[in-house]
Amino acid sequence: MKKWMSVLLVGALSFSLAACGNSNNNGGTNTAPANNASQNENEGGQTGFVNGKYDPPITVTTVQGIDSNAAIFKQGETMENNVHTQLIKDRLGIELKYNWVVTNTNDAYKTKLRLMLSSGEKLPDVVRYRGDMETVNMLIDSGQFMAVDELVEQYAGEEYKKGLELDPTIWYPVTRDGKKMALPILDYAYNSNQTLFIREDWLKKLNLKAPTTLEEMEQVMDAFVNQDPDGNGQKDTLGLAAGFKNGFSNWMTDIGFVFGAHGVIPGSWNPDENGKLTMGSVDPAAKEALATLKSWMEKGYISQDAALKDEVGGSEFFTKGQAGMMVGPNWIPAWPLPDFETNVPSGEYKAYPLPAGPGGKAGAGGNNPPVNGYLFINKNAKNPEAVLHYYNFFFDNFANPAADSEFALGFAEGYDYAVAPDGTVIRNNEDAKKHPDLFPGVDLNNPLPNPLFYTLTFEGARIPTLYAESMVKAAEGGELESPYEKMEVGARKQQNIDAMKVIMDQSDIYMKNYFMGPLTETMQSKNELLSKLINEAYNKIIYSQASIDEFDRMVDNWKKSGGDKITEEVNAWYDSVK
Amino acid sequence: MESVKSNPQAPAKPSVSKASKSNKPKEKISRTWPLHLMLLPAAIVTLIFAYVPMGGLVMAFQDFKPYEGVWNSPFVGLEHFRFMFEYPDSKQVIINTLVIAGLKIVFGLLVPFTFAILLNEIRLILFKRVVQTLVYLPHFISWVILGAILTDMLGSEGIVNNSLRALGMDPIFWLGDGNWFRFTVVVSDIWQNFGFNTIVFLAALAGVNPSLYEAAEVDGANRWKQTLHITMPAMIPITVVVATLSIGNILNAGFDQIFNLYNPLVYEKGDIIDTFVYRTAILNGQFSFGTAVGMFKSVVGLVLIVISYRLAARFAGYRIF
Repeated sequence: MKKWMSVLLVGALSFSLAACGNSNNNGGTNTAPANNASQNENEGGQTGFVNGKYDPPITVTTVQGIDSNAAIFKQGETMENNVHTQLIKDRLGIELKYNWVVTNTNDAYKTKLRLMLSSGEKLPDVVRYRGDMETVNMLIDSGQFMAVDELVEQYAGEEYKKGLELDPTIWYPVTRDGKKMALPILDYAYNSNQTLFIREDWLKKLNLKAPTTLEEMEQVMDAFVNQDPDGNGQKDTLGLAAGFKNGFSNWMTDIGFVFGAHGVIPGSWNPDENGKLTMGSVDPAAKEALATLKSWMEKGYISQDAALKDEVGGSEFFTKGQAGMMVGPNWIPAWPLPDFETNVPSGEYKAYPLPAGPGGKAGAGGNNPPVNGYLFINKNAKNPEAVLHYYNFFFDNFANPAADSEFALGFAEGYDYAVAPDGTVIRNNEDAKKHPDLFPGVDLNNPLPNPLFYTLTFEGARIPTLYAESMVKAAEGGELESPYEKMEVGARKQQNIDAMKVIMDQSDIYMKNYFMGPLTETMQSKNELLSKLINEAYNKIIYSQASIDEFDRMVDNWKKSGGDKITEEVNAWYDSVK
Repeated sequence: MESVKSNPQAPAKPSVSKASKSNKPKEKISRTWPLHLMLLPAAIVTLIFAYVPMGGLVMAFQDFKPYEGVWNSPFVGLEHFRFMFEYPDSKQVIINTLVIAGLKIVFGLLVPFTFAILLNEIRLILFKRVVQTLVYLPHFISWVILGAILTDMLGSEGIVNNSLRALGMDPIFWLGDGNWFRFTVVVSDIWQNFGFNTIVFLAALAGVNPSLYEAAEVDGANRWKQTLHITMPAMIPITVVVATLSIGNILNAGFDQIFNLYNPLVYEKGDIIDTFVYRTAILNGQFSFGTAVGMFKSVVGLVLIVISYRLAARFAGYRIF
């Protein structure tokens, strides 16, 4: 479902991302060399990259798994030869050569990558990967790819550098012996931070104020449960939509905020006052949070079935109009909350800050580095810097184009957009059906082909802060100016825009998981046992199947069964990367 | 299950081979080659999909790294098997598997056995056929869907608990209480699958010679006596075959079912080998360990099948091969 959501998001964003200008082009593609003007001459001489273009052209080899959104081509075009490869060749003098291409269903790309590594086949210059960290680690461990420290230093453009510097921990997952072993592909930041959505109509009906602390939240939930807010005469309502079948830090209907209000995040490694990383799940503060949850379960604030529901199942308590609150990322008004509007047409909801705990501070998991996938560069690549020139090109021309620039409307006319005779811009296949002549060779029964999805970097380039900044700007009543703002923010629901502002206003409460390395030795053999210990004890305590003191027994057990060893290993890793 | 279907031919097979023994091998081949030809595709498929992948079992004895492949990964002997038995949860997980799978096997035989006899007594052929089809239908629904439906039906506000409340009983936490969880799992599995074995049993009943019943009636046997002395004995051979085959599944308690229904509250009573391996091996990338457990399961299953087959041959006088 998470994947589903990102597809939706990608779809929405794709329109807006495409754009930019010829005038921009000169200045833009030169950003990297311009940073090092004097060196530029030398480098230009060495690599042949002069004035934003390789002359003579070079060849960069790669491999690709085609995701479903990139599998839509204009007639006669293929992944190997299309408007994207042409543009790259014309503008940058880079000829992309695909050693193999596979339709990426059932992890076919991952499987093929592994085969390629284990068979000793000659590796391409660039390998991209988006997905599980295990494969990322495998690629690094293969020893076939180079450290990128100097490349980034020398060739990364301003926007890319800024994105990387936003959060230095972005390098942690791919750092080995102090060297950075892969280029992160940036994605929008703060997009997974969650906040509290409350039924506005229920608050009004019961004459309540939105809660700011856990204590106030309990009062509101109590009213939601006992004062019949839906007015059907039955005691069938819930305070909070919760589903913790998959654990206690969730990507939606997160229950971790109750722990966060007590200063810890379950399943997350965070630095203590001495700078050592500790596991949130076994912190004594978690015991207090469990006592809170136990009382919520007893009082019926959360559903008896919460332990049986995953994130989506949990959200249904809210969407069917049973629960008065739900925790979720800014985008839940786009999905799944439209279901709520269908089920409860008269219902209203609004985002509020997460409640503060006894210590006066709220907390939740989030603020993770804005990375979604990596590029690996072959240590024998002839032009390792070419990838960065490529990425810079997309940052400069597509990430946030100016209104009058070359790519302001999209990637290429007749592909992802077209201008109708009356001047309107057509951006989807339904509208395009009225003007099929503007889209020669395009199958209008599918979404329009978007060449940005053909890129090595999955969707061209994304400036991490752009999404949140544009949303906040809109929430504060700013005018939408750039093509990106108009496309991306203009199509959003007000609740969504407001939620992003709520999240950004309390952005300091989100705590990221500092452990981002490969599984340590003890983790490989003990992770399952330890998380089972934690999840079992947590659930039993919340359901009163075990006393609250079960927590202490569990912590002892956790430490003895490998938890102490893992803590050591995690800190050894942390010392090696920070 | 395919082998069950081919069973009616099985008794004929020994006689064929006995008859052919007296012939010269060449004559035998010239006479039977079309049969061998027909067998060939199945044999090839089995070879490719069942025997060739067995080569991968070598991973169980290696510290398998995907990028080094089967050829370069270092051998670690029985390390993974040792790990499996030393793991603190192993005992619990194996017991859960045995209990759940055992209950499923026993009731998975008893229910269709009884049901087939009852259904066989029905005169109205149309009704019989419709029931037979209806009980077979759930067999084709995926557990991903059934799991969601059951979670909903058995939830605290679900139809089952609401009915209990209406009858003045306390609601039951079907999927959150260990013992009830086992009950739910076994019953829902039987409900889903008993249709298949019912059909197998009905097929056996269709082959009973009607003159036996006529003779029994003449001798004054009532319906119950007829069932006891004609119907049931007639079903023994096929029951033995079905039982023998299902005993091989004693370590398969049904991954897709449990995985879609369980939650941390019922780990103690509901976590089985397969779900445990999924969390340990698949989610953590421990392929060697997963292979080792899979191999352990297969070996135990094989041994049990061989033993139960021998026992069946000796005591029930029934041979598949």
